[in-house]
Amino acid sequence: MLTSLLMLPVGFVGYQVFAASVLVPDVELSVATDGDLLAFKPTTLVCPSGAHVSLTFFHTGKYIRQEHDWVLTVPGQAAAVAKTGLKAGERAGYLRPGDRRVLAATRLCGKGEQVSVQFTAPSPGSYPFMCSYPGHGEFMRGVLNVTP
Amino acid sequence: MATKTLALLLTVVGLAFGGIREGCAADPKSPELVHTALRILASVYADMDAKLKNQQFDRLPHENQEFQDGSGAMLDAIAGDPADFKATVQASLEMTRSAAQHVADLSKSRDAAQVKSAIDALAASMRTLNGLFPEALRAEPGSLPAPKHGGPATP
Repeated sequence: MLTSLLMLPVGFVGYQVFAASVLVPDVELSVATDGDLLAFKPTTLVCPSGAHVSLTFFHTGKYIRQEHDWVLTVPGQAAAVAKTGLKAGERAGYLRPGDRRVLAATRLCGKGEQVSVQFTAPSPGSYPFMCSYPGHGEFMRGVLNVTP
Repeated sequence: MATKTLALLLTVVGLAFGGIREGCAADPKSPELVHTALRILASVYADMDAKLKNQQFDRLPHENQEFQDGSGAMLDAIAGDPADFKATVQASLEMTRSAAQHVADLSKSRDAAQVKSAIDALAASMRTLNGLFPEALRAEPGSLPAPKHGGPATP
């Protein structure tokens, strides 16, 4: 009887974990460069809020030795993140360490490489993503639409 | 009267040259690859132009390297074309590569006017290169969407 009573809260917690894992889907997203062009393909991604997202970024460039990354920021802050990233420099991967405006980011990668990042999708809204390499953020942009 | 005649003559000659230029545009064996190659070069040009507008002179040698790398796409794109056409394109491409190198060389001066002049010369050489191909395949310098220097247009 005592054992059963002690197990009750454990079972309840277990149920909550189970319920949460059922309600929050795991989402796999994929995005690439548009070959050697300074553009993402696609430029729009979609996922539900709270989802455990695993995003893979492919650098499909073939000719140009340039690095790219995929950086998700809070709305309206992409340009500011790129600006402070430029000051942070190459060693920091052109992102200021601990920048709270960055929601998720892959490391920089070269042509032919692929990198990935995992994150929890934020609250519903439209979130900009960009490449933080100097100058690329002006061309390489997209939007992650997070649905309710 | 003489002025009008001269103007008419110049117009006719201009139209004739325009027609010849258009007539010279050949259909390459791999049109999609040619179009992609021209877009790559136009893309690097746009980035180079943005660096000048942002006074980031120290980044221009890097952009030149990207241009040199990107020119490989054109060499691959015309690999299957007739030798004489290939030679014409290669010569024109070499002019653009030299012009891009000149931008990098001048960037050390940090003289905006000089660098602008070099970038304009690069654009002119790229227009010549584009002119070797049918209009549908061209990607003229400056034809890509201009960047918004205030930051991304996305939210």
